[in-house]
Amino acid sequence: MEPEHPTVSWEAMQDGNAFYRRHQLYSIPGKLPNLGDFFVAGCRYGGPIAVMRDTSKMVAYGHATPAFSKAQLHVYSPAGEGLLTFSWDQGKIVKFGWTFDERLAVLNEEGTYRLYDLQGDYQQYSLGSEASEMGIVDARIHEGGLVALTGSLALLDVRGWEGGKPLTLANPGLTQPPHSWTVIPPDLTISRHVEVLLSTESTVYSVDNLEATDQRLSRGPFTHLAPSPNGKSLALLTSSRTLWVVSTDFQRSLAEFDTTHVIGAEGEASQVEWCGNDAVLITWDTTAIVVGPFGDTLQYFYTGPTFAITEADGVRILGPDACEFIQKVPASSVSVFRPGSSSPSAILYDAWDHFTRRSPKADESIRSIRVELAAAVDECIDAAGREWEPYWQRRLLNAAKFGKAFLDSYNSTDFVSMGQVLKVLNAVRYYEIGIPITYAQYTQLSPGQLISRLTARNLHLLALRISGFLSLSSSPVLKHWACSKILKSRPAASTSDAVLDEDIICKSIVEKFETVGGTGVSYAEIARKAWEVGRTDLATKLLDHEPKASDQVPLLLSMKEDRLALNKAVESGDTDLVYHVLLHLQKRLAIGSFFRLLEEGGAHLAPASKLLQVYAREQNPEMLRDFYYSDDRRVESAVLCLNEAANSLDPTAKINSVKAAQKFFSEDKERGFEAKMMDENARLLQTQQQLEKEADGKISFFGLSVNETIRVLLINGMAKRADKLKADFKVPDKRFWYTKLHALTEVRDFEALDAFARSRRSPIGYTPFVRHLVEKGHHKEAASYVPRCDANKRVDLYVECNEWRAAGKECKERGDKARLEQLKRTCPNSLIARELEQLASSMK
Amino acid sequence: MNMGSTSTSDDQTSRPTHDIDTSLDISVLKEIARKGLIDALNSVNGAKTLVLDASLAGPLGLITEVALLKHHGVDKMFWLEPGPLSSTTTNIVYLCRPFIKWIKIVADQIKRHNREGLKHTYTLLLVPRTSTLVTRILEEEGVLGDVTISSYNLQFIPLAEDVVSLENDDAFKEIWVDGDETVIFNSMQALASFQRLYGPFPRIVGKGTYAAKLANLLTRHNQGQGPSAPGKVASEKLDSLIILDRQVDMITPLLTQLTYMGLMDELVGIKNSHVEVPVSLLNASSAPPTKPNAPSTSPSTGTSVPATMIKEKRKKHHLTTTSDPLLAELQDLNFSGVGRKLNQVAHRLDEDYKLRHQAQTVSQLKDFVGKLGGLQSEHQSLRLHTGLSELLVPQTRTEEFNKSLEIQQNLLASYDVNNQINAIEDLISQGTEMQVVIRLLCLASITAGGIKHKTLENIKRELLQAYGYNYLPLLLSLSSSPLAALLPNPLPANAPPELAAAAKYPFTSLRKSLRLLIEDNEIEELENDISYVYSGWAPISVRLVQSVAQKGGVLSNPAEKEKKGEDGSQKGKEPATGRVQAHPIVGWKGFEDVVSSIPGETVDIVQSIPGGLGGGTSAISSLLLPREQSTTTVVFFLGGCTYTEIAALRWIGRQNKGRRFLVATTGIISGKSMVESIAGTGGSWSGGSREAGL
Repeated sequence: MEPEHPTVSWEAMQDGNAFYRRHQLYSIPGKLPNLGDFFVAGCRYGGPIAVMRDTSKMVAYGHATPAFSKAQLHVYSPAGEGLLTFSWDQGKIVKFGWTFDERLAVLNEEGTYRLYDLQGDYQQYSLGSEASEMGIVDARIHEGGLVALTGSLALLDVRGWEGGKPLTLANPGLTQPPHSWTVIPPDLTISRHVEVLLSTESTVYSVDNLEATDQRLSRGPFTHLAPSPNGKSLALLTSSRTLWVVSTDFQRSLAEFDTTHVIGAEGEASQVEWCGNDAVLITWDTTAIVVGPFGDTLQYFYTGPTFAITEADGVRILGPDACEFIQKVPASSVSVFRPGSSSPSAILYDAWDHFTRRSPKADESIRSIRVELAAAVDECIDAAGREWEPYWQRRLLNAAKFGKAFLDSYNSTDFVSMGQVLKVLNAVRYYEIGIPITYAQYTQLSPGQLISRLTARNLHLLALRISGFLSLSSSPVLKHWACSKILKSRPAASTSDAVLDEDIICKSIVEKFETVGGTGVSYAEIARKAWEVGRTDLATKLLDHEPKASDQVPLLLSMKEDRLALNKAVESGDTDLVYHVLLHLQKRLAIGSFFRLLEEGGAHLAPASKLLQVYAREQNPEMLRDFYYSDDRRVESAVLCLNEAANSLDPTAKINSVKAAQKFFSEDKERGFEAKMMDENARLLQTQQQLEKEADGKISFFGLSVNETIRVLLINGMAKRADKLKADFKVPDKRFWYTKLHALTEVRDFEALDAFARSRRSPIGYTPFVRHLVEKGHHKEAASYVPRCDANKRVDLYVECNEWRAAGKECKERGDKARLEQLKRTCPNSLIARELEQLASSMK
Repeated sequence: MNMGSTSTSDDQTSRPTHDIDTSLDISVLKEIARKGLIDALNSVNGAKTLVLDASLAGPLGLITEVALLKHHGVDKMFWLEPGPLSSTTTNIVYLCRPFIKWIKIVADQIKRHNREGLKHTYTLLLVPRTSTLVTRILEEEGVLGDVTISSYNLQFIPLAEDVVSLENDDAFKEIWVDGDETVIFNSMQALASFQRLYGPFPRIVGKGTYAAKLANLLTRHNQGQGPSAPGKVASEKLDSLIILDRQVDMITPLLTQLTYMGLMDELVGIKNSHVEVPVSLLNASSAPPTKPNAPSTSPSTGTSVPATMIKEKRKKHHLTTTSDPLLAELQDLNFSGVGRKLNQVAHRLDEDYKLRHQAQTVSQLKDFVGKLGGLQSEHQSLRLHTGLSELLVPQTRTEEFNKSLEIQQNLLASYDVNNQINAIEDLISQGTEMQVVIRLLCLASITAGGIKHKTLENIKRELLQAYGYNYLPLLLSLSSSPLAALLPNPLPANAPPELAAAAKYPFTSLRKSLRLLIEDNEIEELENDISYVYSGWAPISVRLVQSVAQKGGVLSNPAEKEKKGEDGSQKGKEPATGRVQAHPIVGWKGFEDVVSSIPGETVDIVQSIPGGLGGGTSAISSLLLPREQSTTTVVFFLGGCTYTEIAALRWIGRQNKGRRFLVATTGIISGKSMVESIAGTGGSWSGGSREAGL
């Protein structure tokens, strides 16, 4: 029997310009509890629902569903199968909802939240101490995070599900909880940060982390607020039961609809959801209406309470009897199947139909759309993706294949991949799997995510087959498989068996990975799982197979395999990883054994030891001192003392540090020189202290070098003291002479300089006198030293002093006529040139 | 130095002749860096106060400008420095490297705000990645809960079209003195990102202990990526990566660089491609445009002009060839040729200006006016470089400068070492800059295989007395492993074995086998060999690159042969005509013995490219490269490189066709910055106002 024609489920809207279709995904009579008595949260992309008894509602005793004495959460697949049940023993649950990767986030009034996967394992995080003090009164959970409302009516935003620190949003100045509120997830807002909409009094506040904006509305309070799937529009339901659709920036009013006249709409609406981006679904206990953009409606009736989940391309409704999907009929389907459609794809489909019935009209039809054939084929492929029934999928693909044959060159990639995708979709839609995902949702979700949803349900074989079929990496599936295998195979009671068991499990996991070819599987993650459930042996065994050090290290640390962890960290070359281990160990181990670990590591752990020193030098010098001391590293200890000396401002402390350094050096036979130098250093510092005292603190000496001290003494006219310092520190003559030359030139004490120059024969000669004086701009004074320089340099030196005449005379004395001629050419003005000329002429 | 004695034709070094085919477009790296910064800033919503680690300002200035930051919500910028921080915005964003000193300041400021009851939202952006250490310190300081920690992955920054740098000035010190190998890991990550962009390196060749570490990390990283990693197809554009660690060639940076850029770095200091110049050189000229100053290098004016300039207010100027074409002509010239080049340009400009007199018709005048903008900017840049040269010239005429050059040359020739050490001692007496003395001493130690025990102690004592006892740790660092740059000869009997190994630097045999020192009689042809950058000394590092990528160039001069073939009259012709095709990369082949004589591991890894036929194919495929295709060889300097080494590599690149070099480095160094970094006296430019700029 042929399944009913696709158009049977279509209903026209907007005068036949748009069609909506409603089709049953699964028949689930009696499988779900009465949703009216429960809090419900639905997961998008054909995901499950989580329900928890609403204790404010009475329930008849002995009802088909079990009565719950304590908080219990149940998770049902869209096909009505129970996936998970767990009890909640923490503080009262405020809100629960689903994350993008299909984990159930449950938040309690103390600000603690857990993320449950479908196996019931969870991670727990907290919103912080402030939140737990104030208490959480309400929250909105979106796929990428949550926004919590605290007892003090502040909004906390948590972005991502890694337990990040909550960010306090701007304060809207609420005095009481909002009538209703909603959030627009960050990926749908312009600012890329979450935006909260709060209905308070008659208006709505838009709040983000920067500001709270009063939108100045007067129609509130609103009982429901719902942003559209693309975040551009907002549906509001007023207390007078009028549906009002505006843009999310509240700049444009898009539609209005009065729901008071809807038949069967009794009491307060239970949900306002979106069906696509231009139609709104409102549900009551037994009825639901879809309001289109022009106020036209479609109405559906149910036998009991329902729950609607907005999907990207429609809305999924779980009722007492069925799980169904309402959506605007996709353009390609309309194009092919709309009665009377004359689009190329409709003609192609018709032609193929004729062809299968061997009617000659097929050829005629194909000819008539020759030009548009490629587009028609594409459209048929697309339409195939939009159909639920494999029968129609197949027919549409066949039509496409038929049309394709008439094209000279056609890239079949789309055709092939659509075939593959449909195979996958049909497989996961099967009621035992129960993921009613549409093609549009699948492309949005990504194949990888779909596979992880399968593994989360322990459907490893299917997941693996699909991975292979779509040529995706099988490693995520294998990893998940291994983890759940470890969880399921509880270790045997007796110890001897246990070891054996572990071996078998480890072996079976490794073998599986090798046969299936899961390259890049992280054994470390699996090992961690094993360790977490207390199976250390297994963890160690698995970890041996892990090639990446950075993955091994954290687990090794948790397992207290300290040395191994440190070795692996050093091998990885990642200094941050080394720090991670070092800081961890430093905290956990006694300081002695921590040092021993490093020392015993020898050259292999040298990089770690060096890093510890870098860290400790800045942050923990005490520890470094102990470290060097325990390892008898005298030179390093001494250098540490010198660092201290350099940083200390107090003179006495400085001297003491230098002395301490001296002591350390002197303990090492090889460091006699350094010890001597530090001895000198201390002596110098003491002398300088003495000098400062003598100068009544007017001149500062402390910390200067020997040279500098001499210089400062000389420029302050303390020549005697300078001489003494020279003798005390055995300063060589040459250096002393240069220092004194520079110092006296600096204070322009040319008389003293002259006296100094004459005091004895200069050990540095007199050329440096000339040069230095010239450099400092004292040409005249410089010239007076030229006669004492080497005879053959004098001409040049005179020139440097700008003493051209003297240079000329010098030439004459030496009888160097050529040089004189050269002077004449290079001299600065004609006056001098003439004088030189005279000199030249006086020569023979 | 032989000022003005070179007689080679200027055409040799005029404009670098480019191959027609496209090279790697490294400007992408800049875009990535920019985008990363913007994304990091945008992760914090609204107006924010940016607090910047001053050592990052330079690198950031190379990729972005203040306007862009303002555009992305940065309200005010401050330097990260001790003391209170007052911010008018709720958001405070700290951007810094993960150093303890910075984090402590951050913690202090947060604690202060908390005490004062100020509410701020703090975001800490760490460069290039987050760090456990930072988390720990913030935890110890009790402010971890107040800060959102994130990262800004700043990796290679393009400095020129053939140079990328991590701009980490202290890399050398961190590795060889502190033993902190973070830089190596960061280099690996940067190279891995580089591979993701341009494809994996078919072959990795390297020399040096730390170079080997880096190469191993990189290959291990590549293997860890698995076959699904992007960029799996072997790059057609890259033929190899040559990693050299700085210890392989410690000698080169110890010498005084003699190219224009190198000398400027030595004497004025270039930081992150910026140089501080007197304001008057940058502002539009007040001199009449018809008479550009010819470079006046006569001694009479040479000494007086800069004296006034030194006192003048200074301003940072970005040295880049994109806006300053004259720099491209000058940067790699031996300084002796710069004066003549400037003169030439001045004359050409003058000629160009004179053209306006020939303009008869309106349209001719219009043509001239059209060219005027170009002429004026060229004129401006001529003024700048003339001014800069004038700043440099007097410094190259001092006795100390020339004495130090003389000592260097003698030490390189192993000529009368004892006397050189006496000369160094004289320099100390004269109060020569500490870094100059330290460089000469290390040079003496490395070239001579150590200095006599007694002499060394004596000179160390001189040093400490002259410059301060606080330099003792510096001397200790230099004389211990792994640096081993200042050692007694013979080593004490109980010296650690690694020190003894490092001390065996085969300088004299390398000088011969790698043709390092070009003797005086060859000096005419200086600019025909990479040795021109040091007026007669070929950097070992670059000779090593040649022994991988231009084997012929190590043994004899490629330019020489070409010259023989040409007639004297044809000198003006484009030298490119005689260039030979670059040979494929076959590792160290032919130089195995030489290379293995240098301490440190030798690396030669052929990367099996997933998707290829495995192992050796890439080497073979590089043999089969079509002749016209040009490939790029990336040379990575771990621990920094000098401007002269870049100049020398560019020179090699011009000798062959079919291969260009991309220099990648942890930073640009000079002997000066190296010594100062180890001594911990490296100055920073920031300071002054609290408010930061780029």
